Amino acid sequence: MRRPRGAPAISLLMAVLALVYIYPLILVAINSLKTFAQIMENVMAFPFQLRWENFANAFTLMRYPNLFLNTLVVTCMGTAGVVLLASTAGFKLSRTRTRVSWFVFLLCVAPMMIPFHSFMIALVKVAKTMHLTNSIWGLGVVYWGLGVPLSLFMYHGFAKTVPAELDDCAAIDGARPLRAFFQVIFPLLQPVTVSVIVINAMWMWNDFLLPLLILGGAKKSQTLQLAAYNFFGLYKIEWQNAMAGVLLTITPAIVFYLILQRHIIKGMVAGAVKG
Amino acid sequence: MKRYLLAAAFIVLCAALVAGQGKTLKVFWYSPELTDQYNDMAKAYQAETGNTLDITVNQPDYRTLMSAKINSGDIPDVFMSSAYSDNVTYKDYVYDLTDADFMKQLEPSALAGVTVNGRITGYPFLVQSHSFIYNKKIFADAGIKTLPRTLGEYEAVAKKLQARGIQPFATGYKEWWVLPQTAWQVLAPAAGAYGGFAGMVDKLNSGALTFKNIKGMSTVFDVLDLIKKYGGPKPMESDFNDQCSLLATGKAAIIHQGNWAEDTIRKTTPDIDIGYLRGAVAGTANEAGIMYDSNQTIRVYKDGQVELALSWLKWLTTSEYGKAWVPDKIKQMSPIKGSKSPAAQLAQATAAMLAAKVPSYPWFYQMFPAGTEQGLGIIIQGYCAGQTNRQQALDALDAAYTKIVNASK
Amino acid sequence: MTAGRRRARVRRGIEFLWMTAPAVIAILLFVEVPFLMSVMYSFTKWNGLDKAAKFIGLANYKELLATDPAFGSAMIFTLVFTVLTVITINVIALLLAVILDMKIRGKNVLRAAFYVPNIISLIVIGYVWRFIFSRGFDSLGSLTRMGIFQLSWLGDTHLVFFSVVLVSVWQSIGFYMVIYIAGLQTVPRELLEASVIDGTSPVGRFFRITLPLIMPSVTVAVFYSLSNALKTFDVIFSLTFGGPGTATTSIALDIYKTAFSDNRFGYGTAKSVVLFLLILVVTVTQLNTFKRREVQA
Repeated sequence: MRRPRGAPAISLLMAVLALVYIYPLILVAINSLKTFAQIMENVMAFPFQLRWENFANAFTLMRYPNLFLNTLVVTCMGTAGVVLLASTAGFKLSRTRTRVSWFVFLLCVAPMMIPFHSFMIALVKVAKTMHLTNSIWGLGVVYWGLGVPLSLFMYHGFAKTVPAELDDCAAIDGARPLRAFFQVIFPLLQPVTVSVIVINAMWMWNDFLLPLLILGGAKKSQTLQLAAYNFFGLYKIEWQNAMAGVLLTITPAIVFYLILQRHIIKGMVAGAVKG
Repeated sequence: MKRYLLAAAFIVLCAALVAGQGKTLKVFWYSPELTDQYNDMAKAYQAETGNTLDITVNQPDYRTLMSAKINSGDIPDVFMSSAYSDNVTYKDYVYDLTDADFMKQLEPSALAGVTVNGRITGYPFLVQSHSFIYNKKIFADAGIKTLPRTLGEYEAVAKKLQARGIQPFATGYKEWWVLPQTAWQVLAPAAGAYGGFAGMVDKLNSGALTFKNIKGMSTVFDVLDLIKKYGGPKPMESDFNDQCSLLATGKAAIIHQGNWAEDTIRKTTPDIDIGYLRGAVAGTANEAGIMYDSNQTIRVYKDGQVELALSWLKWLTTSEYGKAWVPDKIKQMSPIKGSKSPAAQLAQATAAMLAAKVPSYPWFYQMFPAGTEQGLGIIIQGYCAGQTNRQQALDALDAAYTKIVNASK
Repeated sequence: MTAGRRRARVRRGIEFLWMTAPAVIAILLFVEVPFLMSVMYSFTKWNGLDKAAKFIGLANYKELLATDPAFGSAMIFTLVFTVLTVITINVIALLLAVILDMKIRGKNVLRAAFYVPNIISLIVIGYVWRFIFSRGFDSLGSLTRMGIFQLSWLGDTHLVFFSVVLVSVWQSIGFYMVIYIAGLQTVPRELLEASVIDGTSPVGRFFRITLPLIMPSVTVAVFYSLSNALKTFDVIFSLTFGGPGTATTSIALDIYKTAFSDNRFGYGTAKSVVLFLLILVVTVTQLNTFKRREVQA
């Protein structure tokens, strides 16, 4: 695709808009380098001295290395499970045009209509019965049920972009259905998969309420977001640590997002049809 | 192979020795601003007894988490709640502390709030006070020599401050919980006409009395209106942080808060000079006072590790560390008999006022049925925001109150 | 039917089963069964803590439909909020996706910039935006002398609605942009290039080729934004807590307050059943309408 005319102007405009758009985050960054008193005095002021010790403090108080690992485990387990379950089910449901399939599809997307607060207490009960509470692995498993609906919906819609002929091609080649799916179809759903990974990973990495309920707020098994949350009390907020903690938590997520973005490749489907 | 078996056996033995050496009490509390002090106390306890306190702290979602924990059978051995109406909220889970000997070491006034039908349902954790906090230097600079006690006097002071370009009040009206503590204080002396606090609440519960009929509600609205009028350009946007930071930096002169706010205020301006004003009430100038009570309560789960919990509470009440914990480390007032006054200006102001026989009222609004505090607070907030007028607000208060009373029957 | 075809049908059936079963089981187990368990409580009088709940039949529903003005106003607020945010979010997110899909420099970083608000914790968003609306606007007001900044955007019961919409939209756009970007990748390059050669204007190209082909992502995005808007809770919780008073209380926040602060868990669950039914009706209607427009490659 050729570069559109006026590309530099568009770039500039978008850059300015983007800066205005993330101004609140800039505020967080500025304040993570001030002392408590300075923050209370004026949130918008630039720090005179850069108080890097806030980051060091937050890092230690949050037990960053441990919790980074915990959060990583939860996110990877959760995301991998969702991608696996949602892609197979979403694709199959899309290809099967029966009333049963439509009903199952609705059953699978229904959770998106249910407000979380209305079933979260019962969910904790179920999770406890299945021995999934107080464990980061358990948390990862619970995320499967919560993340699949949206991702399945996306795979269901995007399955249409994979021409039906390919299903039969794969079958004719003699490959077993599972292999056929993952070797032929799945790669073609790459843009969706990347988006599904982005959506789920970002959500699970930064999620707060479910980890709080499943892990019970116990210190020994926490996620980064829960630890960062500890800086926010009702009567006193350790602002400087809280802001630093927030940045420490979302930075890996942003890095991950930037890396993944590069993997969205245009027009893979067209190539597959030709080839 | 034999070597591995021996090593494994050795490890298991060590683990058993270590495990047997101390028990762990599961504790779930709020007030995360006190986390450091909680941990300090746990360390001291472990050093003295070898037992561990596994303390989880959370505030904003405390009620939700308790619900989840209780429903999944994961109930902590020790938890926390308000006093008064919260005594019955957890009635299926709370251990009766009446016969524990160390309870005699606590001030009877502190125990009053946790006693139901003669049975003590919880352990008072902190004694706190709230009223109007004022910046002494601003008052001195403005030449305000007599501290206000009535609505008229407050208005005069506010006018004077405003004339000097200082915002008289930082309202805190964005927080739903600031409204009840500010509003209900005004009503404190009015309870006498209805048989005291317990009497008034009983009559409200039975429907014999309604907020519409309580003499003094108009003064409540008057005080709220005054604070809003002199509360700066955006009074409904002022939250707790706004209150503390404006008071600390000298931009506002008066806030309605409690001694728990001192820490945040002093962290901003360490040498600030603050004190309490006697809050304007629906009564005479002499009836103006402060609100003083023990509301934050520690509770023991009756089917948990009760023995361990009791032995810990005994340590907290009788050991050297335990007795000094609240005044020295937490810097708030302790319910233990004979405990010293903490090195905190507002706590000392409270003690001085009590000694000078300034009226101090219990936090009677905690006696309203459990679940009303927020609902009523939000209705009052709606009035302040102009969503309702006085009549509508009173109707809404009555409707909400009745609904909750019926729901808890 | 021949034996061969029957075998093929059975094979397809089994395939259907094991390909969809894991997902269905996970969903049933972690969402739908808990929800049904909760629905049981909507027929009781329970504070969420007591060991025993008292069965009261349909009394909660009767109270809900007859004497709960708070729920009624929450419903109105939520519906208006939904219409406004769903349209705004989808239009802007699609626009952003299209612009950031063009070959312009730094588009990855730009995409990240618009996406980041979606991953910042809601508590922080609440505090930062509260700060921007009160103090930030104060400074801007004295700087620019524009009256718009001197208004109380979080304190005035009428203006606060727009503040909540603004922050909601700001926080969500990046997410839907991701969905739309994914959709844009599936538009075959040849089709677009052919239309350029044909001399179609960019706008025409968008409406005649791109939009029909990305209908699946439009369906997903509208469905999700619709149900999210009807369920809206987090942004309001942290920005205004439904205030001042009840000016910005959504249905989900009303449910939360009923269940956890009024101590009326049974009644709160009845409200969530009603909310679920509302969302069900709205989104299934939307789904059916949109799915019909999706085009097979």
